[in-house]
Amino acid sequence: MNGFAKYLVQRLFQFFLVIFLGVSLAFLITNLSPVDPVEQSVALMTNFGATDPRAVELMREALAELYGLQGTVLDQYLSFWGRVIRGDFGPSLSAFPTPVMSLIMSALPWTIGLLTLALAISWSLGNLLGALAGYYRSNLLLRLSGAAVMALHPVPAYIIGLVLLLLLGFIWPVLPISGGAQMNLQPGFTIDYIYSLILHGTLPALTLVLVGIGSWFISMRSLVSNIVTDDHVVYAELGGVSSGKIFSQYVARNALLPQLTGLALSLGNVFGGAVITEFLFNYPGVGRLLIQGIYRGDYSLVLGVTTMSIIAVAVAVFIIDLLYPLIDPRVRLS
Amino acid sequence: MQLKKLAAAAMAIAALVVPVAAQEFIAGIPRNEALIIQGPAAQNAEWFNLWAPGGGASNNGLQQLTADTFWFINPEGTGDAAWTNALASDRPVYNDDFTQMTVTLKEGIFWSDGVEFTADDVVYTVQTQIEHPGMGWSAPFTVNVDSVEAPDRNTVVFNLKAPNSRFHTLFTVRWNAAWIMPKHVFETVDDPLTYNANPPVSLSAYVLHSYDTAGNWVIWKLRDDWQRTSIGMELDAEPQVKYVVYRNAGNPDARVIEQLNHNLDVINDIAPEGMFTIARDAADTTATWFPGFPFAHPDPTLPSVLFNHQREPFENKDVRWALAMLIDIRAVAMGSYRGAANLAALSTPPTGTAVTDYYVPMQDWLTSFELNTGTRTIKPYDPTVSEQIAALVKPQWGDQIPADPDQLKAMFGHGWWKTDATAAAELLQKAGFTKNGNQWLKPDGTPFTIKLMVEGDAIPTLARAGTIIAQQWSMEGIQTTVDVAGPTNGQRLGGGDFDVAIYWTVETWGGHPDLSFFLESYHSSFIKPAGEIQPPRNLTRWQDERLDAIIEANRTVSFDAPEVAQLGMDYLKLAVEEMPFIPLMAYNKFAPFDTTYWTGYPSAADPYSASGPFWSNLRYMVVQLEANPNAPAAQ
Repeated sequence: MNGFAKYLVQRLFQFFLVIFLGVSLAFLITNLSPVDPVEQSVALMTNFGATDPRAVELMREALAELYGLQGTVLDQYLSFWGRVIRGDFGPSLSAFPTPVMSLIMSALPWTIGLLTLALAISWSLGNLLGALAGYYRSNLLLRLSGAAVMALHPVPAYIIGLVLLLLLGFIWPVLPISGGAQMNLQPGFTIDYIYSLILHGTLPALTLVLVGIGSWFISMRSLVSNIVTDDHVVYAELGGVSSGKIFSQYVARNALLPQLTGLALSLGNVFGGAVITEFLFNYPGVGRLLIQGIYRGDYSLVLGVTTMSIIAVAVAVFIIDLLYPLIDPRVRLS
Repeated sequence: MQLKKLAAAAMAIAALVVPVAAQEFIAGIPRNEALIIQGPAAQNAEWFNLWAPGGGASNNGLQQLTADTFWFINPEGTGDAAWTNALASDRPVYNDDFTQMTVTLKEGIFWSDGVEFTADDVVYTVQTQIEHPGMGWSAPFTVNVDSVEAPDRNTVVFNLKAPNSRFHTLFTVRWNAAWIMPKHVFETVDDPLTYNANPPVSLSAYVLHSYDTAGNWVIWKLRDDWQRTSIGMELDAEPQVKYVVYRNAGNPDARVIEQLNHNLDVINDIAPEGMFTIARDAADTTATWFPGFPFAHPDPTLPSVLFNHQREPFENKDVRWALAMLIDIRAVAMGSYRGAANLAALSTPPTGTAVTDYYVPMQDWLTSFELNTGTRTIKPYDPTVSEQIAALVKPQWGDQIPADPDQLKAMFGHGWWKTDATAAAELLQKAGFTKNGNQWLKPDGTPFTIKLMVEGDAIPTLARAGTIIAQQWSMEGIQTTVDVAGPTNGQRLGGGDFDVAIYWTVETWGGHPDLSFFLESYHSSFIKPAGEIQPPRNLTRWQDERLDAIIEANRTVSFDAPEVAQLGMDYLKLAVEEMPFIPLMAYNKFAPFDTTYWTGYPSAADPYSASGPFWSNLRYMVVQLEANPNAPAAQ
């Protein structure tokens, strides 16, 4: 077995192990939840209405049977793995009998669109600014932008979102503060609809960019600050290589490797949604779906979203692991 | 130079986004024809089957605007005016022993697809749900109905398995009820439980226009044949609201902003601070239940301090009364609702007809009620609490606080219990408690500590009330910690996994004195052992032979019998004596209306309909609203 094949087998083993452990843990945690989906449904059906206690008993029994919640935890665990392999998470218990997969698939495009765009912007901008700030340390403009990014970094998404909501939704009401698109507008590849999507996505995307840019900036600046003192950089400077070339070829490129891993992990996390931002702006993505599932005790839905997220992160890391030897010769050699 | 470029770029972005303000808010629908109501975020937006599990609780306009059943009770109403015959032409008719109920239906009512509504739809509704366990009303039909017949197209006869003088309440809407199914639609589908009913046929005045597949909004349109519905045939003129939009307007802060931006006409609930902001910034374009402070609309729901009677020492009424005497209700009202609370000393919400049926006639009894503390007898009731709260809020709200005691009672309640630490100490001593320093010890010598459960952020006013009460008890030597249950709250209440909690265990019709709405489930035969789930209501698991006698007596009299109110009073007196839970206040909701486009909303002065977006009685408000002639022109 040559080196790369051995490397591939190791990574594949890790990949499946991470998925197995992650999904099993998610199953265990959701099953330990004290929120019972049958009781949630009973509450929905009896809330505010006259309720005969005998009828409630009967209702409870009927729902437990309908939802297929009989059997031991081990039975349910094995049955769950069977469904995961088939790509079927069963019916949602809070939106019975709609399949969990349908709910996820209808929310996923919103989240992927929002988070991928926000991540691309924050990753590119954060890394670029971070690398420049780390390399051109005396530049005033870069120092100011660094200070601004650092100031925003510790502020929680909820606060930034709320400020944007007040600023651009109320004081200067130029952007919609709720939903994914204009009401009653036919979805499709029309200018009106795309324009509406952009308008409705601006505030949540801006929130995510402002929240996310700081960590990329800080880590990149720190990486670059270390690399600029490396021998090969000093040697290049003494050799008269242009600073632009040193920055792009000797410094930024090397510093980018760990950031790519971070990017892959973040891309995988896209499938888990941006819970707080989606909630704040009422954005119809996976994060909002997850919150609804948790509150309603719908562990089919919670497990579905979590499993998707675990698999997505594992796949992203696996792909990066495979690409790493191509980017970094040291990995290939080892 | 760079700065100029940045400024130019900012201007360009601004030019791109500014037009949104000028865009029509709803594509293709004139804003001044649409009433916009706060709705939920739907998980399965394409699902319109009201009769599937959970479907009956749809808050997106489906049950509020398209479903119909025999009768409605206006939760805000009083007397005969609170009752509405909807699909039924008259009130229910029972035989002598309440084993048979006959309903006569109105003629000339049609489903939105042109098929006539008949008694066959009703029979089909009952039989289909009995045959399909898990459907919304399958269980109560199975428990009660022996057979159902339609002797002619306008008559339905229900033969019951056992006497039930309240069987008709299954078809009586307060919030919702058993809605009638369209037989001609459902009989063509294989499984009524998995059928999504999309698009739904409507039996009421509005029909589905469009919906968001992402679950953020649903738009309902006035039917062309709106006169051929139970609500339409009673109207003199065509409803002015052509479209009703249920939209998920996001978190409470966003709802306030949306209403201030005139993008949300009806709010279900916001925090007191949000209400005060709207009242301050948009007084000219806002209507509220009370025209000024306290603004809030009281739901027929009774937030209370709930004791778990299956845990010591809360099974002891002296302990419960002692804890009641340690509460300073003024601080609770100020801290939870910033004074805008409608206090309740009786164990029924002080709303709708309960005020005239119970609160007013029982004032003398309450004032003279005597409590034996073990060493003396006291009169714990304080009828002046509303005036004391008025004095506390007057500095902030000035002339909005009237001097008339009757008006103050309507705003802040009729009275509550005096704070009396001495009496509380005597009651605890009577129960065998002792005091060591500032710590009360139980009869077994262990410290008396309490975990007070609250739901948390979902109902911030009640969480605040719980925190204040915990502080008050702690200060008097009973260490109380607040236990935030979050989404497990309902489950823990039902399972009896709490010492003391702030929640409600009493809800009423609001517009009718009959208390069977909640009281029926208080019968001791329904009480579960600790650890098992208690049926809804009676979360405290209060058990008393005298209570059983009242419930059994109530079963034998008809819904409208004069004895109903007397039996209600018997229950209320027993509840005062036993204090099974400490009633605090009505569940006040801050639900402001934007009058920019619509006027004529219900109010305390004209409570012609429910006003909460999720209440099915809301339909009676929707058809009565009038377009504001000064509304901005349609775009």
